[in-house]
Amino acid sequence: MRNVAIIGVGYTPVFVSKRIDVSIAEMANEAANAVFRNTGLTIDQIDAVVQGNMQPFECVNLPYLWASEHIGAVGKPVMRIATGGTTGMTTLMCAYYHVASGLYDVVLAVTWEKHSDGDAQVGLAGIVTPEIFTMVMHGLDLITGRGMGGTSGGSTGAAAYQALSYLHHSGADPEHIDKMAALERSNAALNPYAHLRKKTTVEDIQATPFISWPLRYGHTCPTTDGATACIVASEEKVKELTDGNVAWIIGVGSCTSDPCTANFIEGQITDPAEQESCRIAAKKAYEMAGIEDPSKEFDMAELYDGFAHQSLMYAEKLGLCKEGEAHKLLDKGAFNIDGELPINASGGVFSTNAIGTSAMNRPCECALQIMGKIEGEHKIPKKIKKALAHGWGGLFQYNSVMVLSDTPKKSS
Amino acid sequence: MVNQSEVEFVETIVPMDFNYNIRAGKPIEDYLRGMAQKKIMGSKCTKCGKVVIPPRNVCGVACGKMEMVEVDQTGTLQNYTIGHVKITKGLMEPVEEPVVLGMIQLDGTNSLLVSEIRGVDPKQVKKGLRVKAVWKESPEGKFDDLAYFELAS
Repeated sequence: MRNVAIIGVGYTPVFVSKRIDVSIAEMANEAANAVFRNTGLTIDQIDAVVQGNMQPFECVNLPYLWASEHIGAVGKPVMRIATGGTTGMTTLMCAYYHVASGLYDVVLAVTWEKHSDGDAQVGLAGIVTPEIFTMVMHGLDLITGRGMGGTSGGSTGAAAYQALSYLHHSGADPEHIDKMAALERSNAALNPYAHLRKKTTVEDIQATPFISWPLRYGHTCPTTDGATACIVASEEKVKELTDGNVAWIIGVGSCTSDPCTANFIEGQITDPAEQESCRIAAKKAYEMAGIEDPSKEFDMAELYDGFAHQSLMYAEKLGLCKEGEAHKLLDKGAFNIDGELPINASGGVFSTNAIGTSAMNRPCECALQIMGKIEGEHKIPKKIKKALAHGWGGLFQYNSVMVLSDTPKKSS
Repeated sequence: MVNQSEVEFVETIVPMDFNYNIRAGKPIEDYLRGMAQKKIMGSKCTKCGKVVIPPRNVCGVACGKMEMVEVDQTGTLQNYTIGHVKITKGLMEPVEEPVVLGMIQLDGTNSLLVSEIRGVDPKQVKKGLRVKAVWKESPEGKFDDLAYFELAS
């Protein structure tokens, strides 16, 4: 398998709740243009394109048909990826596979979401309707309350069970969720590409009402419009096309578990905070990357947290610390931008959630930190050699993990 | 970025009625037939012996064929949340009184059932409470025949 590096990243100029000045394809085009501008490459140098978004949120389908010319895909192989929240990382992994396999040398990955083009009804038509059918096929009734609707707050309601289970296992207090939320929102305030950019205190979070106990409005992510593009290349092309300042993808892993982890389909995993699929995905990625002790070897992490407790929970599941330790490290300031192990210096998915991009922005932020190309004050002051990116989604049960490094793997 | 007032939105109406014909599968049909008789039907793996509700054909762990079994209507609260909102036509709105929603492991089963728990103060709810199923007076073979769970004495 060949070494593969991220050679450049491009974001839309802003990530906001409503981009009313562009269509979806025009917004994707902004990200594609940005990555070409940042790398100096042209579309002629791209061999293949992979694109991803959360398929039904805007009630548009077949983007490989109508978005292709906006992302430089005309006349090239194009593939569309959709794995829910993890879509972004799966899209980048797919681009990675294209190059690692030796079939292509330079591949463009583009992800987007334009939530504002849909509204609650469109979301219902596109997402909830098929879920009602999934649930009916599994003997659960969304409408009368014994399904996801029975959790009172939609996906937040479903995540509430996970948050409670995490609190039980870890010994953390609900105040630790408030604290993580305040940290990430304050980080986002420093990031020009974040959506909710306001320095936030624990008291600000605690002033928001509960949705489903223990989760409050202040513990949940926004819906965002935005797009991200990223170019990956083989080692030979890195030498040919770049100055060598790139971020190498040295380990990838993904795993699904029993969908009952989603809480609303029956199955034999009865703890939504167990997240065995995260451990399996991490183990695979760490083996590939040669990571022996994840608690010591990473300089930063970007974890997927639609809800604020998840940064703490996944730090433990990914082996960044022992079970029950994440909230203690949070208290010590270890996860701050200038801490021992900065977590979500970008503000995380928790502050910016254009879903298709959410899990791709994690490795992209890692890559920019490694390359020293962060625009904004959320730049981590220390040298980043190894970084961990994580994605979570599917139907709550799917995890993806990527290890990035400032140096390529030695050829075996 | 442009000012919202400068932009005209295009309202799009989709001129169609949507009719879906979903086959839920035989285990779920049997589950609903059980509901009509105030019975909770599950399925048991012929390989590993695990029991899940609602029932299904295939065991996700052992990949064994599953057979229908009736399960106990009393169980243990394994996880819960307190709902402060409800969703009406896709929009969240606050509820007057918070609702206790729980994940219940019925005795002898290896999966969880999500249901409302009534008759327990949200401040008193905790993992491990023993609960039992309460049925609608006249069940009709529908999911909501199993109305809610209450504390088992």
